[in-house]
Amino acid sequence: MKRAEPNRLVSLMVDNLIWLFVLGAFIAFSLLSDRFLSPYNLGNILLRSAAFGMLVLSQAYTFITGNFDLSVESSLGLTAMFAALMLVTSEAGGLGWQLNPLLVILLMLVLGGLIGLFNGVLITKVGVNNLLVTIAMLFVLRGATYGISPGTSISFFPKEFTWLGGGTLARVVTDNGNFVLSVAGIFVILAFLVGHIHTRYTQFGRNMYAVGADADAARAAGINVDRVVIIVYIIAGVCAAFAGLLQAGRLNAATPTMGANLIFAVHGAAIIGGMSIYGGRGNIIGAFGGVLLWSILDTGLNIMGVSPFWIDVSRGLLLLFAVLLDALRVRYQHSAQMRLALAETTVGLHDREQSSG
Amino acid sequence: MAETRALARSDMTLLDMRGISKSYPGVQALQDADFSVRRGEIHGLVGKNGAGKSTLMGVLMGIRAADSGTIAIEGETLHHASPQIMIDAGISYVPQHINLLNTLTVAENILVGNLPKNRFGLVDWQAVNDDSQARLSRLGLKLDVRQPVEGLSVAERTMLAIAKALFNDARLIILDEPTAALSRVDIDLLFGFVRAQQEQGVAFIYISHHLEEVFEICDRVTVMRDGQIVGTRAISEINVADLIHMMVGGGVKEYGRESAAGHEVVFEVQDLSRRGAYEHVSFVLRRGEVIGISGLQGSGADELAQGLFGLERMGVGEVTIAGEVYRPGSPKSAFEAGVAYLPQDRHRYGLVQLRSVRENVTYSVLDRLVGRLGVLMRQDEQAITEEYIDKLGIVTPGPEQRTLLLSGGNQQKVVFAKLAATQPAVLILHEPSQGVDVQAKVDIFNIINDLSRQGVAIMIISSEVRELIGLCDRILVMYEGRITNEFSRAADDMLPEDILLAIEGGPGDADA
Repeated sequence: MKRAEPNRLVSLMVDNLIWLFVLGAFIAFSLLSDRFLSPYNLGNILLRSAAFGMLVLSQAYTFITGNFDLSVESSLGLTAMFAALMLVTSEAGGLGWQLNPLLVILLMLVLGGLIGLFNGVLITKVGVNNLLVTIAMLFVLRGATYGISPGTSISFFPKEFTWLGGGTLARVVTDNGNFVLSVAGIFVILAFLVGHIHTRYTQFGRNMYAVGADADAARAAGINVDRVVIIVYIIAGVCAAFAGLLQAGRLNAATPTMGANLIFAVHGAAIIGGMSIYGGRGNIIGAFGGVLLWSILDTGLNIMGVSPFWIDVSRGLLLLFAVLLDALRVRYQHSAQMRLALAETTVGLHDREQSSG
Repeated sequence: MAETRALARSDMTLLDMRGISKSYPGVQALQDADFSVRRGEIHGLVGKNGAGKSTLMGVLMGIRAADSGTIAIEGETLHHASPQIMIDAGISYVPQHINLLNTLTVAENILVGNLPKNRFGLVDWQAVNDDSQARLSRLGLKLDVRQPVEGLSVAERTMLAIAKALFNDARLIILDEPTAALSRVDIDLLFGFVRAQQEQGVAFIYISHHLEEVFEICDRVTVMRDGQIVGTRAISEINVADLIHMMVGGGVKEYGRESAAGHEVVFEVQDLSRRGAYEHVSFVLRRGEVIGISGLQGSGADELAQGLFGLERMGVGEVTIAGEVYRPGSPKSAFEAGVAYLPQDRHRYGLVQLRSVRENVTYSVLDRLVGRLGVLMRQDEQAITEEYIDKLGIVTPGPEQRTLLLSGGNQQKVVFAKLAATQPAVLILHEPSQGVDVQAKVDIFNIINDLSRQGVAIMIISSEVRELIGLCDRILVMYEGRITNEFSRAADDMLPEDILLAIEGGPGDADA
């Protein structure tokens, strides 16, 4: 059967649009500002958005299954604050336990996972709407963060703790400044890489896509939908805990407002990266492109001295643009299907297609 | 291969359901039903809505437990029934709305849950694609397995769903209204595929309202009525009239109505064209007249209906209502000009399914029901609703019932009530009898008849030629965007064969 195929090149470009944007933004800022391409700045792009990146990863996971978790920004705040309390002396505002940093990191990852488990169980087993559950948790966890905090920021962490978020793997000295290869930057790249392999090349990852594409069909195919969704929420919680640890480590401080109001920027980056809140679409690498673009835009506009308000406007416009493109893509596919349907039903059109093709 | 062929032709019974009964509080849904399917046959299952087809199939699929009766597959009686047991026994169901993972590729849909892995335990995509391609080739199905399912046509999705069932060792596949959304070309494609699988010994139960298709593809047909099996016949030994007779019970005459057409022209379309949809369309519609417009998909008939109601651009040309220029920019302005439209897809456009009968009936006339201080006059609203429930014979526990819970025929009556409440001058009906049972059809035809006698000018876009002949004063046939033929009751030339020929683009007199 002959098929009026949408142009392959167009499809390929549409599917990988995010990387065209990343490239375009990179070139544009390089031309607009000589400071953008400086080694210091390039090293900084990923370091500064490491925590943000982990939140995007958490949402990429939930998005694939057609879910989302608004509470991750509060999980970030809570894990950072909790870790700080357990690490520092009572004079510095902590509990005075001064626990082993590695133990604290492990405990916080477990805490993040438990929050995810709680969300996941409420959503799947109890059947509460995911928007309502995660909004509720957004408030609960943020409130708890304020509640346990001494009211001020906590700082002066042990070096072992700050290594993850603020450590340096290598430093290249150039005439133009230093290029710093940060632990956090490499960590985020690795995390996305693992996420990509996990979602693309394991049975569990593909089950996630199946659940997001059509939960009923996935169930009919023998997939334990609830289990998949719960595990995905646990992964999202662990990612959020990592985000908290990275953020606290980079700033060498924890404040109760950390991560607040970040969630929609996180969703924006994931959506620009090709993910869909309706599930079953996009991929983790694309989401990483979303993080890069968001971060390049941020850093670039900052360097150029654009006011933060206008940076927000540009983010919003970028998101609108991405959503618009998605709508156009759907329409394009739809019209290609319509043309196909016409070719099949109208004798004349069909013949013409065949004689020309 | 020779062996399977031989088996395919044998009369060996594959499925034998005996004495199946099932009752719900107050309803005997199935009564002592015997139903059997032979290996490698395509067995039609027909009956009005509510005849018991779904209950019988539900029992067969293990979704509903029968009160009594036995199910045997290849002579072996199944003592328990559950969906899993039935799937293991080789029974598979392909619903009207195909359940596939639309955003994922064909290959992944075929192997979902069991993807081939390499020695590191990671998904081997090369193997996924090769494996699924090979499986499809064995069934003679040509699809690009790397393509997402959302890019497939409905026929291709149906064939993929059948293929998936076969990969799970299905021996008996239930097809539920598989052609509802298909064009003729697609139907041929699907039927070709189904016959090829039949050759290999696979049996099908074919549930459809389209009797012509039952005659086209089935070997035998079983008719159900009121929860009972009326009988099973070889397709070669029965004709459409007898089949309808079995479905309906008492004799049913072709619907006939007295013309109520007046002389006064209510609606006039002159030389209307919209690029890619229709060209040089002209016709008049008189007070109380009913005209039918019929054509294949893509003939422009559907587009014309939508254009005239302002759902799409109307295009170039002149249209008048009672002499005044009519150019709807939107359905709202069409409504205000006195045109009402019954959409083809009532689930999407005709009804707010979650709301009550009352709200659905009155929401297009709410501006007439606003009392002082902008508060709705609930009593008037109630009165209008009750008037139409009564007039149109809507079977509902009351005006507050959600329309979702009504049968297809009653839902359609609610849409009619909504339209009639606006007291339109012109009524455009798009496939008004689609998806409703035989009895509800007769009710709907009576409603159309009543409206025309009240002076409403009615235009019916439909592919059901026999129904149009019974209902219409004139029938216009569209082909490739133009009106090619006109048949009329006055000229006494409304013969189904001629009209069907014209619809297919046969020799027509374009100047008619």
